[in-house]
Amino acid sequence: MTALRRKRKPLQWVNLIAPLAVLAAIFLVCEIIARTSGISEYILPAPSKIVTGVWNKFPADISPHFLLTLRVTLLGFLLATALGMVLAALISQSGLVTKAVSPVIIWLVITPLITLIPLLTLWLGYDPMQRVYVVVIQATPIITLNTLNGFTNLDTEKKELAKAVGCTKLQRFCKITFMNAMPQVFTGIKLGCINATIAALSADIVSGNIGMGFKIKQYIKYNNIDLAYGSIILVALIGLVTYYIVESIEHKVVLWKN
Amino acid sequence: MPAPKIEFRNVTKIFHTRSQTIVAVQDYSMQVETGDFVSIIGPSGCGKSTLIRMLDGIIQPTSGEILIDGQKLDTSRRLPRDILRRMGFIFQKPNLLPWYTIRQNIALPNKIMGKLTKEDEAYMDSLIDMVGLTHYRDAYPVEVSGGALQRAGVVRAMVHKPEILLMDEPFGALDEMMREQLDIELLDIWKNLGITIVFITHNVEEAVLLSSSIYVMGTQPGRLLERVEIGLPRPRELGVITTERFAAYERKLTGLIGKLELKNIK
Repeated sequence: MTALRRKRKPLQWVNLIAPLAVLAAIFLVCEIIARTSGISEYILPAPSKIVTGVWNKFPADISPHFLLTLRVTLLGFLLATALGMVLAALISQSGLVTKAVSPVIIWLVITPLITLIPLLTLWLGYDPMQRVYVVVIQATPIITLNTLNGFTNLDTEKKELAKAVGCTKLQRFCKITFMNAMPQVFTGIKLGCINATIAALSADIVSGNIGMGFKIKQYIKYNNIDLAYGSIILVALIGLVTYYIVESIEHKVVLWKN
Repeated sequence: MPAPKIEFRNVTKIFHTRSQTIVAVQDYSMQVETGDFVSIIGPSGCGKSTLIRMLDGIIQPTSGEILIDGQKLDTSRRLPRDILRRMGFIFQKPNLLPWYTIRQNIALPNKIMGKLTKEDEAYMDSLIDMVGLTHYRDAYPVEVSGGALQRAGVVRAMVHKPEILLMDEPFGALDEMMREQLDIELLDIWKNLGITIVFITHNVEEAVLLSSSIYVMGTQPGRLLERVEIGLPRPRELGVITTERFAAYERKLTGLIGKLELKNIK
Protein backbone atom coordinates (compact mmCIF):
# COMPACT_ATOMS: atom_id res chain seq x y z
CA MET A 1 0.00 0.00 0.00
CA THR A 2 1.05 3.55 -0.47
CA ALA A 3 2.34 6.23 1.87
CA LEU A 4 -1.26 7.14 2.78
CA ARG A 5 -1.55 4.18 5.12
CA ARG A 6 2.01 4.22 6.39
CA LYS A 7 1.94 7.87 7.43
CA ARG A 8 -1.10 7.55 9.66
CA LYS A 9 0.42 5.17 12.25
CA PRO A 10 2.23 7.71 14.48
CA LEU A 11 -0.87 9.90 14.38
CA GLN A 12 -3.00 7.02 15.74
CA TRP A 13 -0.76 6.73 18.80
CA VAL A 14 -1.13 10.45 19.48
CA ASN A 15 -4.90 10.08 19.05
CA LEU A 16 -4.93 7.32 21.64
CA ILE A 17 -2.50 8.75 24.17
CA ALA A 18 -3.80 12.34 24.22
CA PRO A 19 -7.37 11.54 25.31
CA LEU A 20 -6.10 8.96 27.82
CA ALA A 21 -3.85 11.63 29.34
CA VAL A 22 -6.82 14.02 29.64
CA LEU A 23 -8.92 11.27 31.27
CA ALA A 24 -6.12 10.51 33.71
CA ALA A 25 -5.87 14.21 34.58
CA ILE A 26 -9.63 14.44 35.19
CA PHE A 27 -9.45 11.28 37.33
CA LEU A 28 -6.63 12.78 39.39
CA VAL A 29 -8.28 16.19 39.88
CA CYS A 30 -11.60 14.57 40.90
CA GLU A 31 -9.75 12.25 43.30
CA ILE A 32 -7.97 15.20 44.96
CA ILE A 33 -11.16 17.29 45.19
CA ALA A 34 -13.19 14.34 46.56
CA ARG A 35 -10.59 13.60 49.25
CA THR A 36 -9.73 17.14 50.30
CA SER A 37 -12.72 19.42 49.69
CA GLY A 38 -15.21 17.81 52.02
CA ILE A 39 -17.83 17.53 49.25
CA SER A 40 -20.33 14.84 50.19
CA GLU A 41 -19.84 11.34 48.72
CA TYR A 42 -23.42 11.53 47.46
CA ILE A 43 -22.36 14.32 45.12
CA LEU A 44 -18.76 13.43 44.26
CA PRO A 45 -17.47 10.01 45.24
CA ALA A 46 -13.74 9.50 44.80
CA PRO A 47 -12.97 8.01 41.38
CA SER A 48 -10.86 5.30 43.04
CA LYS A 49 -13.94 4.28 45.05
CA ILE A 50 -16.01 4.14 41.88
CA VAL A 51 -13.43 1.91 40.19
CA THR A 52 -13.10 -0.38 43.23
CA GLY A 53 -16.87 -0.62 43.65
CA VAL A 54 -17.49 -1.50 40.00
CA TRP A 55 -14.58 -3.94 40.00
CA ASN A 56 -16.02 -5.80 43.00
CA LYS A 57 -19.66 -5.74 41.92
CA PHE A 58 -19.24 -6.34 38.20
CA PRO A 59 -18.96 -10.15 38.04
CA ALA A 60 -22.05 -10.99 40.07
CA ASP A 61 -24.21 -7.89 40.24
CA ILE A 62 -23.59 -5.68 37.20
CA SER A 63 -22.55 -8.04 34.40
CA PRO A 64 -26.01 -9.49 33.48
CA HIS A 65 -27.38 -5.97 33.18
CA PHE A 66 -24.34 -4.75 31.29
CA LEU A 67 -24.45 -7.62 28.82
CA LEU A 68 -28.13 -7.05 28.10
CA THR A 69 -27.65 -3.33 27.47
CA LEU A 70 -24.60 -4.12 25.36
CA ARG A 71 -26.57 -6.62 23.24
CA VAL A 72 -29.52 -4.25 22.85
CA THR A 73 -27.27 -1.34 21.90
CA LEU A 74 -25.12 -3.23 19.39
CA LEU A 75 -27.95 -5.14 17.76
CA GLY A 76 -30.12 -2.03 17.52
CA PHE A 77 -27.21 0.01 16.20
CA LEU A 78 -26.31 -2.55 13.50
CA LEU A 79 -29.94 -2.87 12.40
CA ALA A 80 -30.33 0.94 12.37
CA THR A 81 -27.17 1.29 10.27
CA ALA A 82 -28.35 -1.24 7.70
CA LEU A 83 -31.90 0.15 7.64
CA GLY A 84 -30.74 3.78 7.51
CA MET A 85 -28.42 3.12 4.57
CA VAL A 86 -30.94 1.07 2.61
CA LEU A 87 -33.65 3.70 3.16
CA ALA A 88 -31.30 6.48 2.06
CA ALA A 89 -30.26 4.52 -1.03
CA LEU A 90 -33.88 3.94 -2.02
CA ILE A 91 -35.03 7.50 -1.31
CA SER A 92 -32.10 9.05 -3.19
CA GLN A 93 -33.11 7.32 -6.45
CA SER A 94 -35.83 9.92 -7.01
CA GLY A 95 -35.44 13.67 -6.63
CA LEU A 96 -39.14 14.04 -5.97
CA VAL A 97 -39.16 11.36 -3.25
CA THR A 98 -36.06 12.94 -1.67
CA LYS A 99 -37.78 16.34 -1.54
CA ALA A 100 -40.97 14.80 -0.16
CA VAL A 101 -39.37 12.56 2.47
CA SER A 102 -36.46 14.72 3.72
CA PRO A 103 -38.62 16.98 5.96
CA VAL A 104 -40.18 13.88 7.54
CA ILE A 105 -36.74 12.46 8.31
CA ILE A 106 -35.64 15.78 9.81
CA TRP A 107 -38.81 15.78 11.91
CA LEU A 108 -38.00 12.26 13.14
CA VAL A 109 -34.41 13.27 13.96
CA ILE A 110 -35.56 16.28 15.99
CA THR A 111 -38.33 14.43 17.86
CA PRO A 112 -37.00 12.61 20.94
CA LEU A 113 -38.48 9.27 20.02
CA ILE A 114 -37.47 7.82 23.38
CA THR A 115 -40.57 9.55 24.76
CA LEU A 116 -42.50 6.85 22.91
CA ILE A 117 -40.89 4.09 24.97
CA PRO A 118 -43.89 3.55 27.30
CA LEU A 119 -46.13 3.29 24.26
CA LEU A 120 -43.73 0.92 22.51
CA THR A 121 -43.56 -1.22 25.65
CA LEU A 122 -47.34 -1.40 25.56
CA TRP A 123 -47.29 -2.47 21.92
CA LEU A 124 -44.27 -4.75 21.92
CA GLY A 125 -44.37 -6.20 25.42
CA TYR A 126 -41.84 -6.41 28.26
CA ASP A 127 -39.32 -8.76 26.68
CA PRO A 128 -35.99 -6.95 27.23
CA MET A 129 -34.91 -7.69 23.67
CA GLN A 130 -37.91 -5.70 22.41
CA ARG A 131 -35.83 -2.66 23.41
CA VAL A 132 -33.85 -3.25 20.23
CA TYR A 133 -36.78 -1.70 18.36
CA VAL A 134 -36.50 1.44 20.49
CA VAL A 135 -32.83 1.71 19.59
CA VAL A 136 -33.58 1.19 15.90
CA ILE A 137 -36.32 3.84 15.94
CA GLN A 138 -34.06 6.36 17.68
CA ALA A 139 -30.87 5.75 15.66
CA THR A 140 -32.19 5.15 12.14
CA PRO A 141 -33.38 8.69 11.21
CA ILE A 142 -30.02 10.39 11.87
CA ILE A 143 -28.19 7.70 9.85
CA THR A 144 -30.73 8.01 7.02
CA LEU A 145 -30.51 11.81 7.00
CA ASN A 146 -26.71 11.99 6.78
CA THR A 147 -26.46 9.13 4.30
CA LEU A 148 -29.16 10.70 2.12
CA ASN A 149 -27.29 14.02 2.15
CA GLY A 150 -24.20 12.16 1.00
CA PHE A 151 -26.03 10.29 -1.76
CA THR A 152 -27.70 13.43 -3.13
CA ASN A 153 -24.67 15.73 -3.04
CA LEU A 154 -22.65 14.38 -5.95
CA ASP A 155 -20.81 17.28 -7.58
CA THR A 156 -21.30 18.22 -11.23
CA GLU A 157 -17.81 17.09 -12.27
CA LYS A 158 -18.37 13.54 -11.04
CA LYS A 159 -21.82 13.45 -12.65
CA GLU A 160 -20.22 14.51 -15.94
CA LEU A 161 -17.52 11.87 -15.56
CA ALA A 162 -20.21 9.22 -15.01
CA LYS A 163 -21.95 10.31 -18.22
CA ALA A 164 -18.72 10.52 -20.20
CA VAL A 165 -17.69 6.95 -19.33
CA GLY A 166 -21.22 5.63 -19.93
CA CYS A 167 -22.24 4.64 -16.39
CA THR A 168 -25.66 3.09 -15.93
CA LYS A 169 -27.68 4.41 -12.99
CA LEU A 170 -26.64 1.42 -10.89
CA GLN A 171 -22.96 1.73 -11.86
CA ARG A 172 -23.00 5.43 -11.03
CA PHE A 173 -24.46 4.65 -7.62
CA CYS A 174 -22.12 1.77 -6.80
CA LYS A 175 -18.85 3.12 -8.20
CA ILE A 176 -19.21 6.87 -7.68
CA THR A 177 -22.15 8.08 -5.57
CA PHE A 178 -21.77 5.52 -2.78
CA MET A 179 -18.05 6.00 -2.26
CA ASN A 180 -18.34 9.78 -2.65
CA ALA A 181 -20.90 9.79 0.19
CA MET A 182 -18.71 7.79 2.58
CA PRO A 183 -17.61 10.73 4.78
CA GLN A 184 -21.24 11.73 5.37
CA VAL A 185 -22.33 8.10 5.77
CA PHE A 186 -19.77 7.62 8.54
CA THR A 187 -20.83 10.86 10.23
CA GLY A 188 -24.38 9.48 10.28
CA ILE A 189 -23.24 6.12 11.63
CA LYS A 190 -21.22 7.77 14.42
CA LEU A 191 -24.19 9.92 15.42
CA GLY A 192 -26.34 6.79 15.20
CA CYS A 193 -24.06 4.99 17.63
CA ILE A 194 -24.43 7.83 20.15
CA ASN A 195 -28.22 7.80 19.72
CA ALA A 196 -28.29 4.00 20.05
CA THR A 197 -26.51 4.10 23.41
CA ILE A 198 -28.81 6.82 24.76
CA ALA A 199 -31.89 4.97 23.49
CA ALA A 200 -30.83 1.63 25.03
CA LEU A 201 -30.18 3.25 28.41
CA SER A 202 -33.45 5.20 28.28
CA ALA A 203 -35.40 2.04 27.46
CA ASP A 204 -33.75 0.32 30.45
CA ILE A 205 -34.74 3.17 32.76
CA VAL A 206 -38.34 3.35 31.63
CA SER A 207 -39.25 -0.30 31.33
CA GLY A 208 -38.41 -3.62 32.93
CA ASN A 209 -36.15 -4.77 35.75
CA ILE A 210 -33.00 -5.61 33.89
CA GLY A 211 -30.44 -3.54 32.05
CA MET A 212 -27.98 -0.84 33.05
CA GLY A 213 -30.67 1.86 33.17
CA PHE A 214 -32.59 -0.18 35.69
CA LYS A 215 -29.40 -0.85 37.67
CA ILE A 216 -28.45 2.84 37.81
CA LYS A 217 -31.97 3.68 39.05
CA GLN A 218 -31.62 0.99 41.71
CA TYR A 219 -28.15 2.13 42.86
CA ILE A 220 -29.42 5.72 43.22
CA LYS A 221 -32.49 4.51 45.11
CA TYR A 222 -30.25 2.67 47.62
CA ASN A 223 -27.71 5.51 47.85
CA ASN A 224 -24.90 3.58 46.14
CA ILE A 225 -23.84 6.72 44.32
CA ASP A 226 -20.34 5.44 43.50
CA LEU A 227 -21.83 2.38 41.77
CA ALA A 228 -24.39 4.57 39.98
CA TYR A 229 -21.54 6.72 38.62
CA GLY A 230 -19.58 3.60 37.74
CA SER A 231 -22.55 2.14 35.88
CA ILE A 232 -23.05 5.37 33.94
CA ILE A 233 -19.38 5.27 32.92
CA LEU A 234 -19.74 1.63 31.83
CA VAL A 235 -22.68 2.51 29.59
CA ALA A 236 -20.75 5.45 28.18
CA LEU A 237 -17.93 3.03 27.42
CA ILE A 238 -20.26 0.98 25.20
CA GLY A 239 -20.98 4.09 23.12
CA LEU A 240 -17.36 5.22 23.19
CA VAL A 241 -15.88 1.90 22.08
CA THR A 242 -18.50 1.53 19.33
CA TYR A 243 -17.79 5.09 18.21
CA TYR A 244 -14.05 4.46 17.97
CA ILE A 245 -14.53 1.16 16.15
CA VAL A 246 -16.66 2.99 13.56
CA GLU A 247 -14.06 5.76 13.35
CA SER A 248 -11.22 3.30 12.79
CA ILE A 249 -13.22 1.65 9.99
CA GLU A 250 -13.81 5.14 8.55
CA HIS A 251 -10.05 5.80 8.56
CA LYS A 252 -9.49 2.61 6.58
CA VAL A 253 -12.28 3.30 4.08
CA VAL A 254 -12.15 7.08 3.63
CA LEU A 255 -8.45 7.22 2.82
CA TRP A 256 -8.67 10.47 0.88
CA LYS A 257 -10.21 12.48 3.73
CA ASN A 258 -6.90 12.70 5.58
CA MET B 1 -15.34 11.69 -50.31
CA PRO B 2 -15.56 10.33 -46.75
CA ALA B 3 -17.84 12.04 -44.26
CA PRO B 4 -16.15 14.30 -41.69
CA LYS B 5 -15.27 12.63 -38.41
CA ILE B 6 -17.28 15.20 -36.47
CA GLU B 7 -19.91 17.54 -37.78
CA PHE B 8 -22.04 20.16 -36.04
CA ARG B 9 -25.01 21.36 -38.10
CA ASN B 10 -26.69 24.55 -36.87
CA VAL B 11 -26.43 23.46 -33.24
CA THR B 12 -28.06 25.71 -30.64
CA LYS B 13 -28.07 25.30 -26.88
CA ILE B 14 -30.25 27.42 -24.64
CA PHE B 15 -30.09 27.24 -20.84
CA HIS B 16 -33.01 28.42 -18.76
CA THR B 17 -32.11 29.60 -15.27
CA ARG B 18 -34.51 30.94 -12.64
CA SER B 19 -33.88 34.53 -13.65
CA GLN B 20 -32.88 34.41 -17.33
CA THR B 21 -32.54 32.53 -20.57
CA ILE B 22 -28.98 32.10 -21.81
CA VAL B 23 -28.15 31.27 -25.42
CA ALA B 24 -24.91 29.39 -24.77
CA VAL B 25 -24.39 28.33 -28.40
CA GLN B 26 -26.28 29.68 -31.41
CA ASP B 27 -26.50 28.11 -34.84
CA TYR B 28 -23.02 26.57 -34.65
CA SER B 29 -21.67 24.57 -37.57
CA MET B 30 -18.24 22.91 -37.81
CA GLN B 31 -16.60 20.01 -39.58
CA VAL B 32 -13.57 18.14 -38.26
CA GLU B 33 -11.79 15.67 -40.53
CA THR B 34 -10.49 12.29 -39.33
CA GLY B 35 -7.13 12.58 -37.59
CA ASP B 36 -7.36 16.35 -37.38
CA PHE B 37 -6.34 18.43 -34.35
CA VAL B 38 -8.64 21.43 -33.97
CA SER B 39 -8.89 23.95 -31.19
CA ILE B 40 -11.82 26.10 -30.18
CA ILE B 41 -10.91 29.37 -28.52
CA GLY B 42 -12.87 32.32 -27.30
CA PRO B 43 -13.58 34.42 -24.23
CA SER B 44 -15.15 32.96 -21.08
CA GLY B 45 -18.81 32.13 -21.51
CA CYS B 46 -18.69 31.74 -25.29
CA GLY B 47 -19.99 28.16 -25.08
CA LYS B 48 -16.85 26.29 -26.11
CA SER B 49 -17.09 23.78 -23.25
CA THR B 50 -20.81 23.37 -23.93
CA LEU B 51 -19.98 22.34 -27.50
CA ILE B 52 -17.86 19.32 -26.62
CA ARG B 53 -20.20 18.36 -23.80
CA MET B 54 -22.99 18.17 -26.38
CA LEU B 55 -20.81 16.00 -28.58
CA ASP B 56 -20.12 13.61 -25.69
CA GLY B 57 -23.77 13.43 -24.63
CA ILE B 58 -23.19 15.17 -21.30
CA ILE B 59 -25.52 18.00 -22.38
CA GLN B 60 -28.37 17.74 -24.89
CA PRO B 61 -28.53 20.41 -27.61
CA THR B 62 -31.73 22.44 -27.92
CA SER B 63 -31.72 22.17 -31.72
CA GLY B 64 -29.45 21.20 -34.60
CA GLU B 65 -27.65 18.00 -35.50
CA ILE B 66 -24.40 16.39 -34.42
CA LEU B 67 -22.86 13.68 -36.60
CA ILE B 68 -19.96 11.29 -36.16
CA ASP B 69 -18.65 9.68 -39.37
CA GLY B 70 -21.81 10.91 -41.09
CA GLN B 71 -24.03 9.13 -38.55
CA LYS B 72 -26.50 11.43 -36.81
CA LEU B 73 -26.47 11.15 -33.02
CA ASP B 74 -29.76 10.79 -31.21
CA THR B 75 -29.09 13.57 -28.73
CA SER B 76 -32.58 13.41 -27.23
CA ARG B 77 -31.47 10.51 -25.02
CA ARG B 78 -28.28 9.15 -23.43
CA LEU B 79 -25.73 8.21 -26.04
CA PRO B 80 -25.33 4.45 -26.46
CA ARG B 81 -22.10 2.89 -25.27
CA ASP B 82 -20.86 2.00 -28.74
CA ILE B 83 -20.86 5.74 -29.52
CA LEU B 84 -19.36 6.72 -26.14
CA ARG B 85 -16.59 4.15 -26.60
CA ARG B 86 -15.48 6.08 -29.68
CA MET B 87 -14.83 9.20 -27.60
CA GLY B 88 -12.65 10.11 -24.65
CA PHE B 89 -13.29 13.19 -22.53
CA ILE B 90 -10.59 15.08 -20.65
CA PHE B 91 -11.85 17.54 -18.07
CA GLN B 92 -10.44 20.89 -17.02
CA LYS B 93 -9.62 19.41 -13.61
CA PRO B 94 -8.26 15.84 -13.56
CA ASN B 95 -11.57 14.71 -11.99
CA LEU B 96 -10.07 11.50 -10.62
CA LEU B 97 -12.00 9.55 -8.00
CA PRO B 98 -10.06 9.86 -4.73
CA TRP B 99 -11.00 6.38 -3.49
CA TYR B 100 -9.32 4.67 -6.44
CA THR B 101 -5.60 4.42 -7.15
CA ILE B 102 -4.27 6.09 -10.28
CA ARG B 103 -4.39 2.74 -12.12
CA GLN B 104 -7.93 2.00 -10.95
CA ASN B 105 -9.01 5.47 -12.08
CA ILE B 106 -7.46 4.93 -15.48
CA ALA B 107 -9.19 1.55 -15.82
CA LEU B 108 -12.61 3.07 -15.02
CA PRO B 109 -13.97 3.49 -18.59
CA ASN B 110 -13.13 -0.11 -19.48
CA LYS B 111 -14.62 -1.43 -16.26
CA ILE B 112 -17.78 0.60 -16.73
CA MET B 113 -18.15 -0.49 -20.32
CA GLY B 114 -17.95 -4.07 -19.20
CA LYS B 115 -14.58 -5.38 -20.17
CA LEU B 116 -11.00 -5.18 -19.04
CA THR B 117 -9.17 -7.91 -20.91
CA LYS B 118 -5.51 -8.84 -20.51
CA GLU B 119 -4.82 -6.93 -23.74
CA ASP B 120 -6.63 -3.88 -22.33
CA GLU B 121 -4.51 -4.07 -19.19
CA ALA B 122 -1.32 -4.35 -21.21
CA TYR B 123 -2.38 -1.37 -23.35
CA MET B 124 -3.29 0.61 -20.23
CA ASP B 125 0.10 -0.10 -18.67
CA SER B 126 1.86 0.92 -21.87
CA LEU B 127 0.00 4.26 -21.79
CA ILE B 128 0.85 4.68 -18.12
CA ASP B 129 4.51 4.10 -18.94
CA MET B 130 4.33 6.40 -21.97
CA VAL B 131 3.21 9.40 -19.89
CA GLY B 132 5.63 8.67 -17.04
CA LEU B 133 3.14 7.51 -14.43
CA THR B 134 4.77 4.14 -13.81
CA HIS B 135 5.80 4.98 -10.24
CA TYR B 136 2.40 6.44 -9.39
CA ARG B 137 0.18 3.64 -10.65
CA ASP B 138 -0.65 2.37 -7.13
CA ALA B 139 -0.73 5.81 -5.51
CA TYR B 140 -3.95 7.60 -4.62
CA PRO B 141 -4.76 10.92 -6.32
CA VAL B 142 -4.16 12.85 -3.10
CA GLU B 143 -0.55 11.64 -3.12
CA VAL B 144 0.53 12.87 -6.55
CA SER B 145 1.22 16.25 -8.16
CA GLY B 146 -1.18 18.26 -10.35
CA GLY B 147 0.76 17.45 -13.52
CA ALA B 148 0.69 13.71 -12.82
CA LEU B 149 -3.04 13.87 -12.05
CA GLN B 150 -3.72 15.61 -15.35
CA ARG B 151 -1.64 12.99 -17.19
CA ALA B 152 -3.76 10.31 -15.50
CA GLY B 153 -6.88 12.15 -16.71
CA VAL B 154 -5.49 12.10 -20.27
CA VAL B 155 -4.67 8.39 -20.10
CA ARG B 156 -8.11 7.57 -18.63
CA ALA B 157 -9.72 9.20 -21.65
CA MET B 158 -7.57 7.13 -24.04
CA VAL B 159 -7.56 3.75 -22.34
CA HIS B 160 -10.53 2.40 -24.30
CA LYS B 161 -8.86 3.39 -27.61
CA PRO B 162 -11.24 6.18 -28.63
CA GLU B 163 -11.19 7.62 -32.14
CA ILE B 164 -11.98 11.12 -30.83
CA LEU B 165 -10.44 12.93 -27.89
CA LEU B 166 -12.40 15.85 -26.42
CA MET B 167 -10.28 18.08 -24.21
CA ASP B 168 -11.81 20.85 -22.13
CA GLU B 169 -9.00 23.25 -21.19
CA PRO B 170 -7.10 20.26 -19.80
CA PHE B 171 -3.91 22.08 -18.87
CA GLY B 172 -5.45 25.42 -17.90
CA ALA B 173 -4.86 24.98 -14.19
CA LEU B 174 -1.19 24.05 -14.53
CA ASP B 175 1.84 26.32 -14.50
CA GLU B 176 3.36 27.44 -17.81
CA MET B 177 6.27 24.99 -17.82
CA MET B 178 4.13 21.99 -17.00
CA ARG B 179 1.56 23.05 -19.61
CA GLU B 180 4.18 23.33 -22.36
CA GLN B 181 5.60 19.93 -21.45
CA LEU B 182 2.16 18.32 -21.55
CA ASP B 183 1.37 20.08 -24.86
CA ILE B 184 4.42 18.44 -26.43
CA GLU B 185 3.51 15.06 -24.92
CA LEU B 186 0.00 15.49 -26.33
CA LEU B 187 1.40 16.13 -29.80
CA ASP B 188 3.41 12.90 -29.50
CA ILE B 189 0.32 10.96 -28.44
CA TRP B 190 -1.70 12.44 -31.31
CA LYS B 191 1.02 11.60 -33.80
CA ASN B 192 1.43 8.03 -32.50
CA LEU B 193 -2.25 7.14 -32.16
CA GLY B 194 -3.66 9.10 -35.09
CA ILE B 195 -6.81 10.14 -33.24
CA THR B 196 -9.03 13.17 -33.88
CA ILE B 197 -8.71 15.83 -31.20
CA VAL B 198 -11.02 18.72 -30.34
CA PHE B 199 -9.17 20.94 -27.88
CA ILE B 200 -10.80 23.74 -25.91
CA THR B 201 -8.53 26.48 -24.61
CA HIS B 202 -8.39 30.20 -23.95
CA ASN B 203 -4.64 30.19 -24.46
CA VAL B 204 -3.82 31.44 -27.98
CA GLU B 205 -0.19 30.25 -27.91
CA GLU B 206 -1.26 26.75 -26.92
CA ALA B 207 -3.91 26.66 -29.64
CA VAL B 208 -1.46 27.72 -32.37
CA LEU B 209 1.20 25.26 -31.17
CA LEU B 210 -1.14 22.27 -31.22
CA SER B 211 -3.76 22.79 -33.89
CA SER B 212 -4.26 22.38 -37.61
CA SER B 213 -7.19 24.78 -37.48
CA ILE B 214 -8.64 27.05 -34.83
CA TYR B 215 -12.29 28.00 -34.43
CA VAL B 216 -12.79 31.39 -32.78
CA MET B 217 -16.02 31.85 -30.88
CA GLY B 218 -17.79 35.01 -29.77
CA THR B 219 -20.04 35.55 -26.79
CA GLN B 220 -23.61 36.63 -26.15
CA PRO B 221 -24.70 34.53 -27.87
CA GLY B 222 -21.93 31.94 -28.21
CA ARG B 223 -21.28 31.56 -31.94
CA LEU B 224 -18.59 30.79 -34.48
CA LEU B 225 -16.83 33.94 -35.71
CA GLU B 226 -13.90 32.72 -37.73
CA ARG B 227 -11.91 29.65 -38.66
CA VAL B 228 -8.14 30.11 -38.87
CA GLU B 229 -6.01 27.47 -40.63
CA ILE B 230 -2.60 26.98 -39.01
CA GLY B 231 -0.11 26.20 -41.74
CA LEU B 232 2.90 25.55 -39.51
CA PRO B 233 4.85 22.42 -40.49
CA ARG B 234 4.63 19.25 -38.43
CA PRO B 235 6.04 17.68 -36.34
CA ARG B 236 6.08 20.74 -34.11
CA GLU B 237 8.33 21.33 -31.16
CA LEU B 238 8.45 24.12 -28.61
CA GLY B 239 11.00 25.99 -30.70
CA VAL B 240 8.29 26.84 -33.24
CA ILE B 241 6.95 29.41 -30.75
CA THR B 242 9.90 31.70 -31.51
CA THR B 243 9.30 31.79 -35.30
CA GLU B 244 7.80 34.79 -37.09
CA ARG B 245 5.02 32.72 -38.67
CA PHE B 246 3.92 31.53 -35.24
CA ALA B 247 3.95 35.11 -33.94
CA ALA B 248 1.85 36.23 -36.92
CA TYR B 249 -0.85 33.61 -36.16
CA GLU B 250 -0.73 34.54 -32.51
CA ARG B 251 -1.13 38.27 -33.31
CA LYS B 252 -4.07 37.57 -35.61
CA LEU B 253 -5.91 35.44 -33.04
CA THR B 254 -5.07 37.73 -30.13
CA GLY B 255 -6.42 40.62 -32.16
CA LEU B 256 -9.66 38.74 -32.83
CA ILE B 257 -10.16 37.77 -29.21
CA GLY B 258 -9.04 41.20 -28.01
CA LYS B 259 -11.79 42.83 -30.09
CA LEU B 260 -14.31 40.44 -28.58
CA GLU B 261 -13.17 41.20 -25.04
CA LEU B 262 -13.38 44.95 -25.76
CA LYS B 263 -16.86 44.49 -27.17
CA ASN B 264 -17.87 42.62 -24.01
CA ILE B 265 -16.53 45.39 -21.79
CA LYS B 266 -18.39 48.05 -23.83
